[in-house]
Amino acid sequence: MANTYDAIVVGSGISGGWAAKELTEHGLKTIVLEAGRPIDPATDYVDHVMTFEKRYRGMGNRNQLERYQPIQSQCGACDEYASKFFVNDLDNPYSTPEGKPFSWIRGRQVGGKSIMWGRCVFRWSDLDYEANAKEGIAVDWPLRYADMAPWWSHVEKFVGVQGRHEGLAHLPDGEFLKPWPMNAAEQKGREVLQTKFNGERLITNMRLAVITEDHLGRQKCHLCGNCHRGCITLSYFSSINSTLPAAKKTGNLTLRPFSVVHSVIYDPATKRATGVRVVDGNTREMFEVKARLIFLCASALESTRIMLNSATAEFPDGLGNTSGELGHNLMDHIMGGGATGTLPWAKDRREVGRRPDAIYVPRFRNVKTKHPDFQRGYGFEGRASRPGWDRGAYANGFGAGFKKSLIGDLGPWEMSFDGFGEMLPRHENYISIDKHLVDAWGIPALHVNCSYSENELKMQNDMVVTASEMLEAMGATDIRTFKENNAPGLVIHETGTARMGRDPKTSVLNSHNQVWDVPNVFMTDGACMTSTANQNPSITYMALTARAVAYAVGQMKRREL
Amino acid sequence: MRRREVVQFLGAALALPFIPRNAETAIQLGERVHRRLADVPFRTLGPAQRQLVTTIAEMIIPETDTPGATTVKVPEFIDLILTEWASDEERTAFLAGLADIDARAATLGSARFVELAPAKKTELLTDLDTRREDKAGAGLAFSRLKALTVYGYFTSKPVQQDVLHTLMYFNGYDGNVPFTPQV
Repeated sequence: MANTYDAIVVGSGISGGWAAKELTEHGLKTIVLEAGRPIDPATDYVDHVMTFEKRYRGMGNRNQLERYQPIQSQCGACDEYASKFFVNDLDNPYSTPEGKPFSWIRGRQVGGKSIMWGRCVFRWSDLDYEANAKEGIAVDWPLRYADMAPWWSHVEKFVGVQGRHEGLAHLPDGEFLKPWPMNAAEQKGREVLQTKFNGERLITNMRLAVITEDHLGRQKCHLCGNCHRGCITLSYFSSINSTLPAAKKTGNLTLRPFSVVHSVIYDPATKRATGVRVVDGNTREMFEVKARLIFLCASALESTRIMLNSATAEFPDGLGNTSGELGHNLMDHIMGGGATGTLPWAKDRREVGRRPDAIYVPRFRNVKTKHPDFQRGYGFEGRASRPGWDRGAYANGFGAGFKKSLIGDLGPWEMSFDGFGEMLPRHENYISIDKHLVDAWGIPALHVNCSYSENELKMQNDMVVTASEMLEAMGATDIRTFKENNAPGLVIHETGTARMGRDPKTSVLNSHNQVWDVPNVFMTDGACMTSTANQNPSITYMALTARAVAYAVGQMKRREL
Repeated sequence: MRRREVVQFLGAALALPFIPRNAETAIQLGERVHRRLADVPFRTLGPAQRQLVTTIAEMIIPETDTPGATTVKVPEFIDLILTEWASDEERTAFLAGLADIDARAATLGSARFVELAPAKKTELLTDLDTRREDKAGAGLAFSRLKALTVYGYFTSKPVQQDVLHTLMYFNGYDGNVPFTPQV
């Protein structure tokens, strides 16, 4: 029968690409339904376009951005080169309560946000997995590090992750390719912090899904520094660069762009889903696709939106929502706290090559001792760099000498630390269907109700303090602190809304990302998260997806699905 | 110092730009270029404003052994940004700031900045360089003009390719390369 497959994957981003790869490699005829357009690296990737080739020299087409992408352009990567990888906000509306903004950053195309993601990849530890249970917050994760470790290894080996082995219990090492070296200023900073903070605050190399050596047919990074615009040498991990080609190679993949999934079709007789309803992105016609197995990987909020839009007589508040938790416990991270300072050293050293990301300071709060003001912790992303001619915009002076110094000198090394902290899961942060709002395809849109709590704001205060302390310890001058008032969502680590748990009465998914109420539906993107830890989440979605596919395929073989 | 070296030294010094003179020269050069490239008309800056912007941009980044702001069409870039990128409020504030620069020139003895004696021009810009945090007027206009001049200059094709020799890719990363400033 036409339109019938073994498995449906909704979404082709980080999670959907992995679901497609694993399902097809297990021999399942799989269709990937992607809401957006196809991407051709040869024409869509613009990593080597130079500033002078753009009308506004990279400053962005401001009028267009303000009109069509007022939310998307809050994200720095939505720039003059890469704004085409972000959605049109007018076509993709959602509502928020008055005075409670949420910045929902989305990419709808084959590859999803994996084209312009940040590429920082970290494992969790049991410090993270046990936190909810120990602190009596939300519900316990149905997982521990030991459950996840082999799956992180599985995905890391394919992804290609550069990193430095540090032996930290709370930020476990992975399957690392050799990292790029730190630059002279960062290396000195690492040495100073090790002395002054007894190793508690550590500068290590960023763990990054960018390959430093040729890896599985992909070329090593060429250090252009423009990852968010695509990569013609496929050197960073994305669905387009990695998982979708692997899935295609099996001969089991059907990829259908312009396929906006409306809802899941539920059969009360079998208590199984039979397929999905899809709106053709171009013709707006609705059609159905059938399969035995459905993986929702449309992004945290989109996957839950599909479930909420799939309400039936049996599930009036959304498919799989017996627990009442579907849509709830929305999280992001909190960022925008930190400091920048001018370093006193390495004036006779410079960098050659533009690393996409540089250094990381792993969490040090509430690891060994308890902080009096807040629970959980945060890490710092950072780098040291010399500003070059950029400093001319804010330096004093003009004239020939000014010009010569901008060309012939680089300015002093600047070190910055930008905190990324954990956000607690709270029932009152939720998404629901806005009964008065539909998107350009006629599909009911979301209402997003989310705010940071005191715990996150106190954590952000602490980021400013500890970043300054580290810079002071280095003897930095001109220390400039920053504390931004960002709406949640802008970190683009939105997670939760269909949490995993041990009890169907209090969670939506079981320990294998399987919907308790509808066992042939799996949700393996950010929707599944029970807490967020402070680490960047994508590699965890990848590992959970691969793990869930193995489980689902096993159940199918045993005729349990 | 041997005579030959002295001549070379002086020669080098003389080759360095005398800023105001160079700005005037650059304006003339710029106008010739503009006449040739009539397809890039100025749409926001009128003739007098354009002369003012060009003069100041060239004073910020003058022609030396490398091109100056005028040669790489910084004034055209600034006009583009004012026309298509800036908000109405930003454009209005910038143009009012330009008028304020001329008003300040009047206190130094000339109705327009471009007509000031070279030393007076430098004196006024030196003062404005301390007023870049001003929320309105000449300080604001100079702050925007300076930022756009630096950005427009260093992102231009001639400067990216022939002055900075910007590379788009590298065979590896080295963060510990010896460096001696050339200033």
